[in-house]
Amino acid sequence: MSNKNSSNAIIFENILFGFGEQIILNDVSFSVKPGETIVLMGGSGTGKSTTLKLVLGLLKPESGHLFVDGENITDFTESKMMAVRKKIGMIFQEGALFDSLNVFENVGFRLFEQGASENDVEHIVRQMLKFVNLEDAIYKMPSELSGGMRRRVGIARALVGKPKIILYDEPTAGLDPPTARTIIELAMKLRDLEGVSSIFVTHRIQDAQQLASEYVTIDEKGEIVVRKDEKAASSRTKFIMLKQGKVIFSGSGRELWESPDPYIKNFLL
Amino acid sequence: MNLAIKIVFETQEATLMVWRSALGLVRRPFYIRETINQMDIVGVGSLPIAMLAAFFIGAVLALQTASTLQAFGAQNYTGRLVATSLVRELGPVLTCILLAGRIGSGIAAELGSMKVSEQIDAMRALGTDPLRKLVLPRIIALVVMSPTLTVFANVVGTIGGLVISLTLLHIPASVYNTSARDALNYHDIFGGLLKPVVFGFIIAVVGCRCGLRTQGGTVGVGRSTTQSVVMSILLILISDFFLTKLIIALGPTGQF
Repeated sequence: MSNKNSSNAIIFENILFGFGEQIILNDVSFSVKPGETIVLMGGSGTGKSTTLKLVLGLLKPESGHLFVDGENITDFTESKMMAVRKKIGMIFQEGALFDSLNVFENVGFRLFEQGASENDVEHIVRQMLKFVNLEDAIYKMPSELSGGMRRRVGIARALVGKPKIILYDEPTAGLDPPTARTIIELAMKLRDLEGVSSIFVTHRIQDAQQLASEYVTIDEKGEIVVRKDEKAASSRTKFIMLKQGKVIFSGSGRELWESPDPYIKNFLL
Repeated sequence: MNLAIKIVFETQEATLMVWRSALGLVRRPFYIRETINQMDIVGVGSLPIAMLAAFFIGAVLALQTASTLQAFGAQNYTGRLVATSLVRELGPVLTCILLAGRIGSGIAAELGSMKVSEQIDAMRALGTDPLRKLVLPRIIALVVMSPTLTVFANVVGTIGGLVISLTLLHIPASVYNTSARDALNYHDIFGGLLKPVVFGFIIAVVGCRCGLRTQGGTVGVGRSTTQSVVMSILLILISDFFLTKLIIALGPTGQF
């Protein structure tokens, strides 16, 4: 048991969660291996965002066990969870940037809270903004940014402190296709170059296809390139489909496309 | 959920919120900059409106009481009536009702918007406790600044009464001042400062709790804001009665 727990980044073990009478997650079990991306799919209200909030300890399961980086966090108090959250970066649906702070203060929030000096913070923030290609926006306020830029700032903020685990909550929802592609490429960079474990919640089939068929590597000239290689990509990407709070599918991209399940077929149309 | 259960549940949640944020008083990190910023918003920001309101309240009190007192040939006691009414009752209550409208609603709206746009969750996800960073500075700011503003309001209100006494009622300033000074004792001043401390606490706790429990998007934010103002004002008026009873019981005469 302990071996299994320490060799996985996240484990859901028979998790049950509900709001009052309404059951959101019903006996959900799955695991995320280190360096692996789980693409969590399903219609609206099937418990995808709830799954991410459980990992962060923002919500507590009613029964079952939840392991993050080898620790059983099921009964962790808020103060104990604070330490676990340092290992996790979360990208929220609309970015969830702090309105009263500019991009620099938003991205450097975690470091400012830890008492880091402004110079140190600025160095790291510029690095992170370079990664998401938004260096010019450093002193802008969130209200001055477009939807795509807000998500990218959200990604930069989640990456500060080099978390081992990243959770994406529909980061491409409502974005135009090129911007959505940029966001997926950032997720692939983190998966393939940084070895980050992640859960990627989405209901956009294009995101799933891209994550299952493309990977990022560094070519001979030292440049980052995107290559099409289903085998390489799928070795690091697994798909889980939720329906009414239950896992109805778990497997590779190929298995998902070929699934005979009518719900999945309808979803992938 | 019926009303009784709702009241018990909300009291429990508010108590837990206060307790958890109070832990921030003794454990790091301390949010001194946020606290000073909130004090600036609550204190300096509300000072002009609190003083303006107090001036006219003092003036109206002088006008209203003088005509009644005149019937008994006692208009020289106008200062006494204005000062005691202001220090004991109207200064704390009206200043804090203004604060409930200006600051309490602002807190509920700000925290409510942060809640519905997932900023509160984002803050927790980034390892910061929103109760310590957002709630505690607001409680401290209101508990400290409410009595401070009340003192200003009392002084300006008494001056408002003095202006009316001098100009319209033709009572000499020395008579007004002596009558006001003679009427007040330390017990009144203690009571007049205890009340705004409690009221400030009520405004902060209700505002923060209404904000943090917001659900249902922008409509929810509007609902929380209204609820916070209504609830704060009601609780201020209810607690005012019990506080007055307590202050009188603790007073030199100890009657009632």
